[in-house]
Order: sequence, then structure tokens, then C-alpha cells
Amino acid sequence: MAEEYIVEMRHITKRFPGIVANDDVTIQVRKGEIYALLGENGAGKSTLMSMLFGMYEPDEGEIYIRGEKVKLESPNHATRLNIGMVHQHFKLVSNYTVAENIVMGMEPVKKMLGFLPVVDLKKANSEIQALSEKYGLAVNPTDVIENINVSTQQRVEILKMLYREAEILIFDEPTAVLTPQEIDFLLEIIKGLRDNGKTIILITHKLEEIKRIADRCAILNRGKLIDVLNVADTSTKTMANLMVGREVSFETEKKPAGFGDTVLEVSGLNVYNKQNFHVVRDVSFQIRAGEILAIAGVAGNGQVEIADAIAGLMPVRSGKILLNGEDITDMPIRERTLKGISYIPEDRQNYGVVMDFTLSENLALKNYFKEPFCKKGMLNRRAFEENSGRLIEKYDIRSGQGSSTVVRSMSGGNQQKAIVGREIELASPFMIFVQPTRGLDIGAIENIHRQMIAERDKGRAILLISLELDEIMDCADTIAVIYNGEIQKIAPADTLTANQVGEFMMGVNKKQAVNGKGGRGE
Amino acid sequence: MKPDRKQGNQPETRPERESAGRAHRFWNAVKIPILAILISLVAAGVIIAVTGSNPFKAYYALLQGSGLAPKSSYANYKSMLTDFLSYVNYFTPMIFAALAVAVALRAGLFNIGVSGQMLAAGFTATVLVGYSHLNAVAAKPLVLLIGMAVGGLAGALVGFLKYRFNINEVVSTIMLNYIFQYVVSFMINTYYVDPVSRQSKEVSPASRLTLMDTPVGNLKIDIPLGILAALLAVVLVWILFDRTKLGYELKAVGFSRSAARYAGIRVGKCMVLSMTISGVLAGLAGVTYYLGYMGSIQPKVLLNTGFDAIAVSLLGSNNPFGIIFSTMLISLIGKGSTYMRSAAGVDTEIASVITGMILLFSACSAYFRYRMERKKRDKEQTVKEEK
Repeated sequence: MAEEYIVEMRHITKRFPGIVANDDVTIQVRKGEIYALLGENGAGKSTLMSMLFGMYEPDEGEIYIRGEKVKLESPNHATRLNIGMVHQHFKLVSNYTVAENIVMGMEPVKKMLGFLPVVDLKKANSEIQALSEKYGLAVNPTDVIENINVSTQQRVEILKMLYREAEILIFDEPTAVLTPQEIDFLLEIIKGLRDNGKTIILITHKLEEIKRIADRCAILNRGKLIDVLNVADTSTKTMANLMVGREVSFETEKKPAGFGDTVLEVSGLNVYNKQNFHVVRDVSFQIRAGEILAIAGVAGNGQVEIADAIAGLMPVRSGKILLNGEDITDMPIRERTLKGISYIPEDRQNYGVVMDFTLSENLALKNYFKEPFCKKGMLNRRAFEENSGRLIEKYDIRSGQGSSTVVRSMSGGNQQKAIVGREIELASPFMIFVQPTRGLDIGAIENIHRQMIAERDKGRAILLISLELDEIMDCADTIAVIYNGEIQKIAPADTLTANQVGEFMMGVNKKQAVNGKGGRGE
Repeated sequence: MKPDRKQGNQPETRPERESAGRAHRFWNAVKIPILAILISLVAAGVIIAVTGSNPFKAYYALLQGSGLAPKSSYANYKSMLTDFLSYVNYFTPMIFAALAVAVALRAGLFNIGVSGQMLAAGFTATVLVGYSHLNAVAAKPLVLLIGMAVGGLAGALVGFLKYRFNINEVVSTIMLNYIFQYVVSFMINTYYVDPVSRQSKEVSPASRLTLMDTPVGNLKIDIPLGILAALLAVVLVWILFDRTKLGYELKAVGFSRSAARYAGIRVGKCMVLSMTISGVLAGLAGVTYYLGYMGSIQPKVLLNTGFDAIAVSLLGSNNPFGIIFSTMLISLIGKGSTYMRSAAGVDTEIASVITGMILLFSACSAYFRYRMERKKRDKEQTVKEEK
């Protein structure tokens, strides 16, 4: 059995406090294939691969590389065995150039004045140029990371592995941050790598991608290996059912919308960020009661700044924001909250909660200054407890010590539940949801979508900002697509296909977009 | 995903868990300072033994010198009580100073300027009240009020510079320390110097916050009135952070400025306010020192109190009640050192060595705690990322 498999992980078990991340998992990967690991968030895919990349040691089980038993001690060790990994969150130094990032740690060195060792950047640049041409990964070695887009950054990560002569390439959810068009391009790159003899392990929860490029697919559920399938002989429906462990519906239940009066009106909004870049350009839209307006766009195109400007966290250069007809453009944050804005921010740990506060303190973060929490400047601790007890129950927020748990010690999903619960409880006529389901598992995602739609049905106006196209297509009544700070298109959701939205996200103009094929998922 | 965790939310188990959580938190808060103290006492004991003295005798002498253990004999008009009260008199300013540091730290600011604020407050009160002919009933409250006002203004200035011009409070407080130090010594040397002592002229007994050499029975006692204010301040600071809206806001700002702003808290206002409160407390430290313990001001000298207070506050885990204990401990060593020299033959410098070691270890332990927490957090984070 030895030579046939380039990677074998046998009977791997890994436990973390309170959870078995991998439970007796065995996978065998052949040289030169694309092997997909499919599973929900929390199924243990990343843990398994982290062990292959030397970041954790398995509690039980053995790892064989090229038929030889190895004990991977560190990512450096894994790199020496020609294993490379592209992480979900890129590990790049943002003010270094592409070339500097790629060679970092194994820089070509020349001797200055015959003895002083310095990094030979010229050589690095030319090496990387050659490498990028060989694999069709277009990058400019002298570009600075912070000036290039996400998909280029990802190519830099891939080149980083190839520069280290990786033969076994692990991709951790590589398409999560990309537009449909960029995804197509990446999948082609991955195929190309396989055709060049590399072995690819692809972590994903997107069935469509697996169907398109993977040869075989291992399905994990709650840490256990469910099955290993030949992708060609299996339908995506079967894979989905195995992955979730039950019959799944691809659609979110949603009643037809009934729109009321305009709640939020944004007109001619211009926002500059701290570096004085013009990040929101002349944006106008309206949201009616009972409507979910979703802003689709690739990360960093100004959508978060729109949310921050409406919530008052970012100053508006020009334009107007009207809430129920009242001008709130220059109102302090607290007053806007009181006028009726709920805001679930993108960065939940830096904005949404005070991490070192207890759960009960966090659940009152938006109304601690009102009765019953506060009378004449003095806090009523009992009111905090009662409020948090109620919300914990209602929104199923799980934590070690209930109300007195420090939020930092809670899982990201439960932190998010706490934020969502708190903001919904404000019963504001207007709610902003930014990336509300990022990093959550399918159950939690369904739950949050259901709550959001329930709020819509109660007649709230909702602004949804998401990088997940599926989420937008599932939930939105109206879709606005943003590119480079400008709204490219606003239209009722049922008049747009995912592909069209994807093309607007790339800044492609309207005429071309109409030709885009319809459909998403299957 | 984690059914085992859910039990924590069921009502019947919640109260126990919470009290267990409280005990746990208390233990977490005290274990590292206690460890730091024990380690440094052992280490200092070794040093004392090496210099040829008996460490136990030396430590006991510290207690005797501070009036916490009886001496073998007392001079006229002296007893254990007079020793103890003079020890209280000695540590009162430190309680205020450490509270000043703690209040700023809770809001995420580092007040290194406590010494300068003490000097400014002490000097102003000395000139305005200490050299006046006001009677005691008017003078003493006035001294406290002036101390609070001047300290508060000095603190507010720092907070304002931070809020308005984003000037780092560490830099501005250090610079203000120099300014206060030299302006005050110029004023003293020019107008208020006592030609014999080369210090500022002594303040009037009426304005003094410590009743010096008060005959009680056959004793002459220094009665430190400031300690009452200090204990009151401890309670008030505790109430501020545990029970008030303002305290909630200050803590939120201290933990996370971005989240506080998101919650609609006016971060700038909170920073100015916390520095003001910190300054008020520093001002009280100043008047209880210069118009209580000392009675005069030595020009060109900036007290160590404001800097030691940082470590004292850390040793007390920035908790107002913890600060009482850490203040008493650190002051015990300083106050008892003279007697330790005469009784146990250990040089007073050794006392500074012990103090230094406790502070060093407690500072290190803050680092260890940070490392421990970060390690724990990293672990949680990676576990979280799995999901």
C-alpha cells in the first residue's frame, strides 16, 4: 500500500477542551489528484489539515508522507516535506512587496562588498517572475501587498508555497473571499497545478466547486469521517445530505415581501476613510419598511463604510442620511441608536462586544443607560442579570458561566448570537446586518437568516451587507451591487442572477452583464 | 455544536456557578500578587542571611517598626499605637496615589504624572492655605478641596490633550512632571524658602492634615486625618466602577475604545473624565503628603510615590480594596526599615531591595498573567477558527 498514497493519515483523533475535533479519521490521498475535504463549519476539516501542516499534533493516530511514517513538529517541518498550505486568512506582511513576502524566510542572499550578506531582491524578483509565468499565476513581484486585491494576494500565497517547492498543496476554503469570476479563475489554476503533478487537498463547504474540479471527496461531519466518494459518480445532493447528516433544502423560507413607507433614505453619500481615500462615492438608495436591501460586493469596496456612516461611526463628507424623514447625517451615535438603528457590525470582536465585559454587561451595551438598568447614574445589577437571562434563553446563547461569563471566553458563534439578540431586542425600525453569519456553522446561519427575515416580516427595514453571494441571493428583496465605492446596480432580487451580480461586483458594465448565465448552486 | 456547554444556562445551576465564578475570580486576582510577595520575601531573606543577619528577625523588626508588633522598649510618649499611627500617616498618600493610577488604568490610560500632580496640588494648597491664618475648621477642608481642584485640573489637561490633539498621555504627564517640578522649586527658592532647612517654610498647624504630636494620655500621637478620606476614596472608587453608569462607560473605554464608541459612549469625554478623577486623587495624595505627612516641600525633588504607586496599583490588581493591602505592605517595608537597622542590624537599603523585588516580581507577574491569558486565548482562538 505504501507507494500508492502520497499522504496517509490513519486513525487520527484530536480533542480540544469540550469538543472532539477529529474522531478516528483516516484519509489517503494519491499523488497528482485533487482531494476535497467537505464538511460544515466545525466538522474538523481545518483541524485535520492543521495536523498535516504541523500546527497541531494528533492525540492519536499516525501520519505517513510518501509511505514514510512522520511526526510533524512544526509548519517548517511540513515545508521541508514539501507540504504547503494556503490559509483562509492570508499570512502576508501588508507593507512588503509581493516578492519580499514570497521569499521571506528563505531569501536569496548575496554578499555586499564581498562579505556583508544582504537579500538579493533582484534575483528574488526574477525568480518569482519566472515562477508566476510557469504556473500562470499573474503577479507583479514589486507590487506592495496592501495595494493589490484579494485574489492577487491569494496568488501570492500560492506562489509562496510553490517557491518552497511544495508538492502537496493544502487550500483552506480558498474561494470564500472571491467573486464568482475570480473563483472560476482560481479553480483553473488549481487544475493547472494538478496537471503539473502537484497533489491538491481542498478544504471547502461549497459543493459546486468540488463537483467541478475534485477527483475524490472525503466528507466529514462533527469530526467523523462519513464517506470517501468518487466525485464523478456522486450527485451534489447526495454530498450535501451526507455533509449535513440530514435532508437539506437549498432555499431559505421566505414569504413574499410587503413593502411599507421608506424608512431609510441615503442620498449622494460620500465618505472618505482615515487615509483620506474616497471610499464611498455618491451612493444613494432607499429602504422601505419590510424590505431587505442587500449590498453585494467584494470585500473592501466601501460597503462597510456605508454601514459605519449610517450608524455614525464614520464621518460623512457630503450627502444626506434620513431616518423616517429625519436628517441624522451629523447626529451622535447614541442619538441615532435611540432614533431607531440597530447595528450588527462586521468586526464583532472589536466593535460588537467589549470582550472583557461579562455577557450580562454586553447584552445591555446599547441600553445600559436607560431604566431599568440605570437610575440616576447608578446601575441596577439585577436588571442586567434579568435581561441577560431572558436573552440567553431566547437566543440560545451558550456559555460556560451564564450571565457572568466573560465574553472573550465564548465561541465566535455565541458572541454573534449575543450581538444579534441584543440588536434585535432594541426593536429598531431600521437594522444593519454586516456579515452576520461569517464564520458560523450552517445551523447558526439558518437561525440568523430566519431571525432577520422575521424582523423584515414585522415591518423593519433591513440593510444587509455580505460577501457571501448565496446569502444575498437567499435573503434580499432588493440587491445593490457596489464596486469601488459606487453602486453599480440596484434592482429587485428576482430580476438578477448570481452571475450577473458577480459581474457587477467586478465593475463590469451593464451591457456585458446581461449575457451572464443564470443560476447558482446547481 | 456543544451540548455539554448548555447546562451552564439552566436556571437551577446558575447561582452556584456564579458564586463559584466569583470565588474563582477572587482567587485569580490574588494568587499572582501573593506569589510575587512570597518569592520576593524568600529572595530577600537569602540576601539578608548572606549579609550575616537573621532574616526572620529582620522581618519581625519591620513589623515592630510599623507598630504591628510590640517593640521591647519604647521612648517617652511613644508606644505601639504611636508607631502604628505614624505608619498610617506614612501610607495615606500612597493609597490616593495608587487609586489615581488605578482609575486611569481602568479607562485604558497610563497616568505617570501622579508625582507632578501631587506636587502641583501640594504646593498650591501650601501657598493658599498653609501660609494663611485660617482656623483649622476652615483650613483643613479647604486644603482638601484645593488639592482636588488643582490635581483634577492637571489631570483634565492631560486628558484634554489626549482627546483633542491625540497626545500620548505618557509623554504629556512626564513633561508636565518636569514643568511642575521646576516651576514649584523656582517659586519656593524665590519666595517661600526656609533658610535653615532649605525647604519651603512649614505650613500652619491649622492647615495640617495630620494632627502632629497630639497629647493623648501619656502619649504624643500623630493623628492622620487623611486616612479617613483615603478609605472613603477607596469605597467611592469601588462604587464608581462597580455600580455606576460612568464606571461602566470608563471600563468599556478601557477595554475597547472601538466597541465603546460603537455603543454610543463618548470616548473622548470618558478619557478626559477618567484623567480628571485620577488627577483629583493624585491631588489628594499631594495634600496628604505635603500638608499631612511632611508639612513642607523640598524643592527640585519629585517624589517616588507617584511612580511606586503604579506598581502598588498593579500589585493590588487595580482593585481599590486590593490597593489598601498592597499599599500597606509596601509602606510597611519603608516605614519599618529604620527600626530594622537598629534592631536587626540590617541596612535600610535592604528594605529598598525588598520593595524593589516585590514590585519587580509583581510587574513580571503581570507579564506572566498576560502570557498565560494570551496562551489560553490563542488556544481558544484556534479552536474557534476550527468552527
